[in-house]
Order: sequence, then C-alpha cells, then structure tokens
Amino acid sequence: MDTSPIETAALVARVQNLSKSYGKEGTRVDALRDVTLGIRRGEFTAIMGPSGSGKSTLMHIMAGLDAPTSGRVWLGDAEIGAMSDAQLTVLRRRRVGFVFQSFNLVPTLDVEGNLLLPFELDGRRPTPSERAWIDELETALGLSGRLRHRPHELSGGQQQRVAIARALATRPELVFADEPTGNLDSRTGREVLALLQNASRQYGQSIAMVTHDPIAASYADRVLFLADGRVAQDSGRMEAAEISSYMLSMEVPA
Amino acid sequence: MSATPASVRTPVREHVPSVLVAALSAAFGVGLLQITGFIAAAVRQDDVTGSSAMVALLLQIVAIVFIVIAVYVAAIITANTFATVVAGRARSIALLRLLGSTAGSLRQQVATEGLFVGLAGTVIGSLVGTGIAFGVGRVAVALGIVPENSYGYLDPVLILPVVGVILTTWTASWVGSRRVLTVTPLQALGGAEELSREEVVQRPGRYVLALVLVILGAGFLLLGLLIGLVNPVGVLVGLIGGIVSFTGIVFAADRVMPPALRLVGRLLGASAPARLAAENALRHPQRSSRATIGLVIGVTLLMTFGTAMTTWQQIILAAQQANPEVYQGIDQMLNATIAIFSILIGFSGVIAAVGLVNNLSLSVLQRTRELGLLRALGFSVQQLRRMILSESAQLVVTAVVLGIVLGGFYGWAGAQSMLGAINGSPGFVFPSIPWIILAVVIVGGAVLTAIASWAPTRRATRVSPITALSVE
Repeated sequence: MDTSPIETAALVARVQNLSKSYGKEGTRVDALRDVTLGIRRGEFTAIMGPSGSGKSTLMHIMAGLDAPTSGRVWLGDAEIGAMSDAQLTVLRRRRVGFVFQSFNLVPTLDVEGNLLLPFELDGRRPTPSERAWIDELETALGLSGRLRHRPHELSGGQQQRVAIARALATRPELVFADEPTGNLDSRTGREVLALLQNASRQYGQSIAMVTHDPIAASYADRVLFLADGRVAQDSGRMEAAEISSYMLSMEVPA
Repeated sequence: MSATPASVRTPVREHVPSVLVAALSAAFGVGLLQITGFIAAAVRQDDVTGSSAMVALLLQIVAIVFIVIAVYVAAIITANTFATVVAGRARSIALLRLLGSTAGSLRQQVATEGLFVGLAGTVIGSLVGTGIAFGVGRVAVALGIVPENSYGYLDPVLILPVVGVILTTWTASWVGSRRVLTVTPLQALGGAEELSREEVVQRPGRYVLALVLVILGAGFLLLGLLIGLVNPVGVLVGLIGGIVSFTGIVFAADRVMPPALRLVGRLLGASAPARLAAENALRHPQRSSRATIGLVIGVTLLMTFGTAMTTWQQIILAAQQANPEVYQGIDQMLNATIAIFSILIGFSGVIAAVGLVNNLSLSVLQRTRELGLLRALGFSVQQLRRMILSESAQLVVTAVVLGIVLGGFYGWAGAQSMLGAINGSPGFVFPSIPWIILAVVIVGGAVLTAIASWAPTRRATRVSPITALSVE
C-alpha cells in the first residue's frame, strides 16, 4: 500500500509490515504476516475475517494492548510500537476508546460514574464543553433516565449504549469495537450498529470494528477482509449478502 | 471455557489460607497447653505448699480460655474464606448442576474439603506447636528458670485443641458453603456478567436479636459500673454485659461494618483509585463484614485487656498513694500480667489478620477481567497499585478504629466496675490509654495494610489489558 504523506494525513491509524507470532520456534503460530494498512479518519471501518484470521490480534496491536513481533504501528502521527507501558496507558486513556463484546462496564459504578471514569483516570473533571458533549451523548443514547443505575440493573442493549457513550465521551481519535453485537439479540444489535454508524456520520468519529458478522459489517463505510494473517480484500460499503458470499468464497479450499 | 470445571481439578491452592488458619490455631492451642503442662510439671516437683494441682488446673483453664477465643476467631475466618471460594467457583458449580449434580452433594463435597483442610492444618499445627513448646522448655531448663522435669509432651488434654480445631474447621466450611445452594444451573449459560454479586440476605429477626443484645448488654455494663462503686462484684455484672453486647455487635456485623467502611472509604479521598477502592471494599458487604469483624474482635480483646490493665494500674496507684503498705510490690505483677495476656490475645489478632489478607487476595483474584478493563481504559499500574492499597487500608483502618473504641470502652468499664470500691479508690476515673498496646495495634495495622495489598498488587499489575477483551 502506498503511504505517501498526503495519504497518511488522512489516516487515523496505520501499520506497516506488521507481523505477530506466538510461541517458540517449531510450535510457532503466525497471527499476522507482513500486514500494511491504514484506517481512514472519520470513517467507520469493519475488519472482517473468519476465526483465527488475525483480526483480533490486529486490533490489540493497533490499540496499544499488545506489542508487534515486527513492523511499525502509528496512531495519528505517534508511533506506538515503541512506546513504554506508561505511555501506552496515557494513550489509551486520552486518544482511544473501546467497545467490547461483553460490555465491560465497571460493576461498582453507576452509569454516570462509568461515563466519567476516563476523565477521573486522567485526574480531572470534564470541561464545560466536554460536559455538554456528555449530556448530548446521554440524550442521544437514551440514557438520561438511567444515570443512577448500576450495570446489573440494565439490559444488555442498555449496557452496550453506556459503553458506547463512555467510548465517545473523551472524543478519542479512534474507537475500537470488538464484536460489539456478539452478546446482543439481532434487533438490539442493529440499534447498536446504527448508533455507531451515526457517531461516525454525524460527529465524524473514526471507528474500527472487528467482527465476523456480515450484517454488522454491512453498516460500515469500508470493509477489510483478513485471512490467515493477511489482508485478503479491501472494499467500500458492501451489502450483507455480498459480504456473506465473499466470506464463503474465502472458506473454499484453494 | 476450559473443558475441565474448576471443582474437578484438585483445588489445593484455594485452601492454603484455610490450612494456614487451622495450623495457626492448632499450633497455638497445642503449644500453649504443652507449655502450661511443662510449667505445671515443674511446679509439682517443687511442691512445698501442696497446691500444685490447683495451680496446674488454673493454668490450664486460663490457657483454654485463650485457645477458645483463638479457635472462635479462626472459625469465623474459615467460614468467610469458604464462602469466598464458593463464590469464585459459581460458574463451575453451575456447570456441574447443569450436568445433573444435586446442590446437596456439591455442598457435601466442599465440606469434605473443609474436613481435609482441618486435618492437614491440625497435623501441621500440632507438630509446630509441640516443637515450639519443646524448644521453650529446653531453653527454660538451660537457663535454670525451671528445673529439669519429666513432662512427656503427650498430655491427654491435647485432644481438646486437636479435635476442636478439626471440628470447627469442618463446621465452618459447612457454614461457609451455604452459597452452593443458591447457584442455579442457568448461571453456566449466562454471559460474562459477574456472578458473585452476593445478594444481601435480609434477616430482620437476626438484627432485632442483635439490637436486643446490644441494649441488654449496655444495661448490664451500666449496672456493673454503678454496683462497682460500692462492691467489686460489679465486674461480673459488667462482664456479662460486655459478652452480651459484643455478641450483638458480631451478629449485626453486616449491618454495622458497611456504614463504617463507607465512612472510612470517603475519608480516603475522591481520586478515581480511591473512589473505586471504596466501592470495591463494599462490593460484597457480607464478605467484607466477616473479614473485618475477625480483626475487630482481635483488636477489641487486645484493647480491652490493655485499657483494663492500665486503668487498674491507675486506680491502684491512686490507692497506693492513700495506703502505701497495702499495695506493696503490685506494679511488677501487673506489668507482667499485661505483657503475657497481651501476647496471648494478640495471637487471635494474627489469625484475624491472615483472614483479612486472604479476603483481599481472593477478591482481587476474582476480578481479573475488571482489572484488565481498567488497564484498557487507561488505568496506570501506579493507579492500580493505589487502588488496592486503598482497599486494604480501608478494611484495616475500619476494623482497627472500631476495635480501639470498643476495647477502650469495655476495658475501662471492666476496671472501673472491679476496682471502683477498693480501699483508697478515687471513685470514678477516666479510662487510661495503654500506649504500648495502642502503638503495637497501629503499627501492626499499618504493616497489615502493606502485607495485605502486596500479593494482590503483584497479581493485578501483571494482568494484561487484553484480558478484558476476551470472552469467557
């Protein structure tokens, strides 16, 4: 892939010649093999692939949760491949948001407490404009009436809305979503996907979503297919049926 | 999810703390009886007054009182540990229920583990206790403090602590495993939601009983104080009042401790780590209550004896000034008694401390996923460390402060009602503070805070943020 200066400016995150392998010589598993790609700013990107294709590993490394075996990783213009744990911690706190499959709210904090957690970790209160943004998110995601509820008092769909609001609250450069609909029924799942799509269209939020669900991927502006640790296909918006048939064709033994 | 449920694997590691608690109380019981037996044998050899049988009996009774206190504290700790272990196994218990095990048989299985824990701890503890007693005996003979005697280290009375510790550990594991019955097979199918959120069981009858006991006990204490002004018998009335009211407080622990913990938690600050810690310490109110009430009992006993003794000393010194000839040479005896009793009581405090360390480690171990989440959201290793240290401090500070206040009051009431009427007494005195014991308790509390947070911190800071993203 070409990484000329003009194009890198439009990329919110990118990896270059990225490889990741686990285990020692002999029992070595290559999760990623020489991957080069970029996530475009303001876009909703889906990273698709069957189990074991390396999509989760790719997300972990791009989010600074795991270290590459070789290759380089950038978030914005910061190279994160070589950062220390402390630097990565601050990076995750300020510049990255997460939405997980199992929601992962802090069970001891109420909805408001979960939303403010990223600011508290930074040792500060939200500024007036951030506060207004949080209020707007609470309204948009239908959480206003539930701010004092604990996670166990909410349904799965409501918990995932809180998680999305938490991920968007700090206006991070990039939100990573890991199978965000995996634990939800299909109707609630679609609502959540629409919310993510809306966050990208309305607020210009960059989102990278890892999924193996063709319907989820059909909400994205761009779909990247991974297979055996390599990028197999990079395409624009696709219908769920197209994605399904492409996935099936990848399964056919070569 | 791994193919083998956790309860099918040998769960040895989970039981190490319970074995340690059983071993400590067995070592204390056996060691103390061995030493008193040795002393009694020495006294018998040198019997001039013919009262050696009486001395031996008195020594044994005093020893048994302290052993019962230690075993009681140990039982509370063990029941609490087992409840926590069961909470951590909820998923695999649910899986076994799903596959057709009855709740009763699973509980039986946990209780059987408790029996083995008791057996193992008692064997280790008895050997260690006898070894220490033997060593103390050798040193005492070598220094010429006691004459060489024929004590055989196989006194039948040793059956008491041995059987006592095994039975209480077994019973405590049975009581602690009650939670097995509340696990439903459906929990095996549930999502990755935290399963161990203990529902606070409302037991109004129990709280009414506790309140009645506290009021009744306070009444007796007051009566004892008044009687004490004219007659030393007041102390016996006060003793009943003390036991009754303290039993009430222990009964109501899961009502008394959470507000106290909350208050202390608020004092620790409003930073994110401190606030999360405050919530964590109260996440399982019953578990935290039981873990801290053990320490409250230990500190209360220690402070009761300490305050009683120093207040006594103060009254007697005042009386001594009035009638010097009546109270000759009583100071050294008092000091020696304070020292010995404090050490004996302090042992219950040590057992309670093990329970608290254990509670905190298990609670951190059981929320690996959540720690991973905090790391993913940008919690630094330093913040994680501060959070666990705050949790630890919150538990210890609450227990120690409550114990100091309760013990100070009980001790003063005891001394006042016993000696208020003696020859030359100044009437009412203010409680006098046992500075040395207070210092030991505070330093001990600080050390405990650090120790309790050390292992969980090490484990927690090794948690990779990726843990939060994995699906169980």
